[in-house]
Amino acid sequence: MELEKASARLAPRSPWQAVDLGTQMFRRWAWPTVRIWLAFTLLPFVLLLAYASMLESWWPLVLFWWFKPMWERPLLAWYSHALFAEELTLKTLFKRWKQYALPGLFAQLTWRRLSPSRSFNTAIWQLEGARGDQVSQRHQVLHRAPSNRAGMLTLVLFHIEQFMGYGLLALFYTLVPWQFNLELSDWFFEQSVLQTAIASSCLYLVLCITEPLYVACGFALYLNKRTWLEGWDLQLGLTRIGKRRKPNGIAAALLIGMLALPFSEPATAVDHRVEDMHAEQQQIIELLAGEDYMPFETRTQREWKDQDNDEGEEASWWEAFWKAFFDRANDNTSTNSKPFSIPDNLIWAVFWALFAGIVLWLLMKVASQVGFTGRTRKQNHVIPTHVAGLDIRQQSLPDDINAAVENALHDTDIRTAMSLLLRVSLATLLREYPVALAAGSTEQHCLRTLQRQHGKAPGIEVLQPVVNAWVRTAWAHRPVSADEVRELLAQWQAVRFVEVPNG
Amino acid sequence: MSQPTTLQEAAALASEIEQRLNQVLIGQQQVVREVLIALIAGGHVLIEGVPGLGKTLLVRSLGKVLELDFNRIQFTPDLMPTDVTGHAMYDQKTEQFRIRRGPAFTQLLLADEINRAPAKTQAALLEVMQERQITIEGKAFSLKEPYMVLATQNPLDQEGTYPLPEAELDRFLFKVMIDYPDHGDETRLVNMVLDGTIRASLDVESLTPATDGAGLMAIRTLSDSVLIDGEVLDYALRIVRTTRDFSGLSHGASPRASIALARAGRVQALVEGRDFVTPDDIQQVARPVLRHRIQLSADAEIEGQTPETVLGRLLEQVEAPRQ
Repeated sequence: MELEKASARLAPRSPWQAVDLGTQMFRRWAWPTVRIWLAFTLLPFVLLLAYASMLESWWPLVLFWWFKPMWERPLLAWYSHALFAEELTLKTLFKRWKQYALPGLFAQLTWRRLSPSRSFNTAIWQLEGARGDQVSQRHQVLHRAPSNRAGMLTLVLFHIEQFMGYGLLALFYTLVPWQFNLELSDWFFEQSVLQTAIASSCLYLVLCITEPLYVACGFALYLNKRTWLEGWDLQLGLTRIGKRRKPNGIAAALLIGMLALPFSEPATAVDHRVEDMHAEQQQIIELLAGEDYMPFETRTQREWKDQDNDEGEEASWWEAFWKAFFDRANDNTSTNSKPFSIPDNLIWAVFWALFAGIVLWLLMKVASQVGFTGRTRKQNHVIPTHVAGLDIRQQSLPDDINAAVENALHDTDIRTAMSLLLRVSLATLLREYPVALAAGSTEQHCLRTLQRQHGKAPGIEVLQPVVNAWVRTAWAHRPVSADEVRELLAQWQAVRFVEVPNG
Repeated sequence: MSQPTTLQEAAALASEIEQRLNQVLIGQQQVVREVLIALIAGGHVLIEGVPGLGKTLLVRSLGKVLELDFNRIQFTPDLMPTDVTGHAMYDQKTEQFRIRRGPAFTQLLLADEINRAPAKTQAALLEVMQERQITIEGKAFSLKEPYMVLATQNPLDQEGTYPLPEAELDRFLFKVMIDYPDHGDETRLVNMVLDGTIRASLDVESLTPATDGAGLMAIRTLSDSVLIDGEVLDYALRIVRTTRDFSGLSHGASPRASIALARAGRVQALVEGRDFVTPDDIQQVARPVLRHRIQLSADAEIEGQTPETVLGRLLEQVEAPRQ
């Protein structure tokens, strides 16, 4: 491998900058890579599609999807050479297929098939030619923190693939002449052979774009990780310095040592001396896989924002409380030494309790929305204080109802007499038979509610003529006669099913 | 036919009409009551309900019981305004333009699925409802009273419909919700069809007229003399005004709703056999008067509230009047 021939600048990048590099690679070599994809996959896809149509089943197409790691191998082989100024022909790719496609393929098609880091890991088998324990060691080394984000890349591209697939299908649907009377819902839910073929073809066309992109991005992430770990940028710098000066023994030895790093497939093509230094290479792999090599430690610490700026100001007790809370929660070593310490477990307990509370509250809200309230709660109605604007509280009623009614009748104030009679009737009835009444409840509504809930109890039967007389008096301005009032009062008292205040 | 001269006679006649309609329209007493109130009050009705609940039967029965002309228009997306109102056509024999009157020239008009026609056609009908006259080629034709439009809407199949704008909905006195009859009523209906008491088709031949248009107009005139107390009127106004500033509502009802509520309250009292309006009468007609005149806020809609639930809450909260 001659790093100086690389057509991209090899420098330590963030994972997403590395993905950008992969995207650039795809853009630059879009047509050759799409052509490679078509050359290797079109025939298998057509055959599987035909088989799927014969069987009227999706399974052959699932097989095509399952073999994606195999279809990606030629693309990676092409990228790995193209980056170092060697564009392989299709013929060469077919000829060398066994060399680059078979290493680790069985694992990738079986237990590692659903690995989200596929695009990144393929290079370990294919480019480094790692086998057995070496693979695990290389995995350990290359997957050290910080993350290479290969899993996120797979997730993002998976969604892009789906969106583009459905988008293409929708475009196709819109272009179908209306005479065909194609119903979109039928299209999705009633899969005929034709529909399966069209949907699969749309997805295949999308893969023509996303697969070369996916491989390029995974390869770029791999290159980036190795640049970080092995200082390829430094190596290139040293090489440039070495070229400017006359090479001496030390620089040459350093250069050879770095070039011998695992990247076996292109490396063997470049420098035969690397083979002689296999022992050193193995030593380097072990060193990189060791626990002591570039130890990373992940620590989570909560700190106040702009802590330094606030030092001059005196914090309020509330801020001081939370500061102490978090400071002690973060500092596990001092848990026992400080009286105010709150261990992480307690924070988590509080957090989960809050979470459970919110979930419970949401469930209860949903249950009440759909009308499920569990056990029927006993309704404890509060005795209303006013009905249709009439005050029916005990203290508002006269002690002697007979006398009060008689006094009103004596003053020919039928309205007051009727009002008293209605109020005392309602007060006693509602005390005996409490019902829920709102501010907008009218006298007639109150009567209907009592009748509905308590049938025709004697008191409720007597209430009906009282309400009718009151309604006529109040709203028709046609007061009943004094005798009628006395008769209603007598009827009311005759029932005597409840106590009438001092009556 | 004899016409009522007193409120008692008017109430008795209204009760008779209601009873006859209920003989044909089984299990829809509330709908019959509300449509009758709207008819007496001189308003129009928007009926919402799924097909097959007897909307056409109701209108045909009304026509028969009251001896009124009846027409039905099925609203479709390609229906033109002239298909409703009529137009002038050239008569080659007389070499003159002749007015061809549309189906709107009637007394009871069933505008079936009014929201299926575009706004232009809806507007033509709504103008007829408001002005009670139809202008063709610059000539105005007054419509014969009593005149009533019963427009229907299907709440389920809303695709390809043109919802009525708020201003046009306001022209309807009532929005009546017609629902499935309960189990007992449906059993009774099926039994009556099976034993031949009534026919499954829209047969209203068995109905006999209770009165005629003039009788209905007399009831309408007498309903104007039903007493409405100041407090009760104030209660009606408070209900309408509360809709304009009530949680769960983004738009409240217009002053036209206040007038409609008071008018409908009066007729409700008359139909109940009273010559005065109680707060209960106002409550009884508040829902059909207001449910199409209010607009739910986005929050209320998201919470799954309906105009019915919001109005129920509103009627509970507006204090009943006191004397």
